[in-house]
Amino acid sequence: MIGNPTALLLGSVLFLLLLLLARRGAAAREISSRSDVPLFDDEASLDPCPPEFVTRIFSSIDWDFVTCTKSRELQKLFRRERKLVALVWVHQTSRAIRRIMREHTEATRQSHDLHFATEIKLVAMYAELMLICGMLLLAIQSAGPQRVGGLAGYAQTLSQRLAQAQQDFKVVTTGRHFHRAGSA
Amino acid sequence: MLGQAIWWSSIALESLLLFRGFRGRLASRYPAFYFYISFVLFQDVVCFAVARWTHSSDAYTSAYWTAEFLCVLVSCGIVFEIYRVGLAAFPGTARMARNLMGLVFVVVLIKLIVNIVKDPQWWTEASARGVEGTLRAIQGVAIVALIALFIFYSVPFGRNLRGILMGYGLFVCWSVFCLTLAPPTGRLHDILGVLYSALYPLFLVLWLVPLWSYQANAAPKRAIQLEQDYQRVAIATQRRLHEARSYVARAVGS
Repeated sequence: MIGNPTALLLGSVLFLLLLLLARRGAAAREISSRSDVPLFDDEASLDPCPPEFVTRIFSSIDWDFVTCTKSRELQKLFRRERKLVALVWVHQTSRAIRRIMREHTEATRQSHDLHFATEIKLVAMYAELMLICGMLLLAIQSAGPQRVGGLAGYAQTLSQRLAQAQQDFKVVTTGRHFHRAGSA
Repeated sequence: MLGQAIWWSSIALESLLLFRGFRGRLASRYPAFYFYISFVLFQDVVCFAVARWTHSSDAYTSAYWTAEFLCVLVSCGIVFEIYRVGLAAFPGTARMARNLMGLVFVVVLIKLIVNIVKDPQWWTEASARGVEGTLRAIQGVAIVALIALFIFYSVPFGRNLRGILMGYGLFVCWSVFCLTLAPPTGRLHDILGVLYSALYPLFLVLWLVPLWSYQANAAPKRAIQLEQDYQRVAIATQRRLHEARSYVARAVGS
């Protein structure tokens, strides 16, 4: 009734989760017994760095300036340092996102009126953000922050075009629907 | 010789586990778990008696698999107990667990119905080992869903409940591997059969150490404040996650 691949997958997932549970046991106990720090701080800042600094990490302005110097050593040093800064920024951001979710789960785990659908939506949003952070880490490691900025710009333009196409399609199908309804 | 050693060590460890459970008043706190251990001890003694006095492999096989099937049904109580005791102080997570388990069982039921429709002879052709493997796999899915929620909501555990969950989780994991991956006959079937029984005393030790004496579950120190109702918290989290997404998009797209 249950195939070998399913059994292997299930057994492996269960084993990994048990290992994770064993590892996180002490941490979970510590979190639960912490002092009365406000749990849900709405004003907690997400920005680990000043905004003017963050906008420069993935921008090509500094890179263009360094390229003008025609010094290979300076370019190499710049690339290495900027990559490091970008990686630290992604780590800090993903930590801040994890903190948001941790504060949420700590506040809602005792709630009597929890909504399953809302929770699933929040978990999906959280998973998407963590996936983006993971992909950013990979992209920065392999291509460097300047190229990631370019890729992100391209992806943004592409997604805007897709959204526009979807909107156009919606307008056309709604128009047809109205037309049919009118003729009926 | 190895079989006798496994049998006697299992009976001794199960008896010790029950003795410590009743002496430390753990049995009244975890009744489903101790009922399961009592049942397994009873099964061991009955199977041992059948093997010794009947000298018939058919009688032993039918006694063993009947008891084993009942044992799997009784062990479902342990999963329910982990949910009941672990989430007693966390009604929000308990509600998530109920919904998630419901969803998981609906999916499993649909898969079961689809498989039976595709192969109606399954019930008559399935071996006892195959049925047990399927039931253990369903338990495994339920435990995976529960552990994922425990980790995600940072639910704290006492030593006793952690011991029950870790021991039982590993036992189910091992059962799923052995019962479903073993071929119907042959050398690998024999090896996995011996390994399946041989590791059981190890799981009993894994239970015995954390269940030697009672230790209360860590209760959450901070009760939820009245003004922090779920809707408010959820809306604030959604807003903060949206902000985080636009923050990342702004920084990277600049």
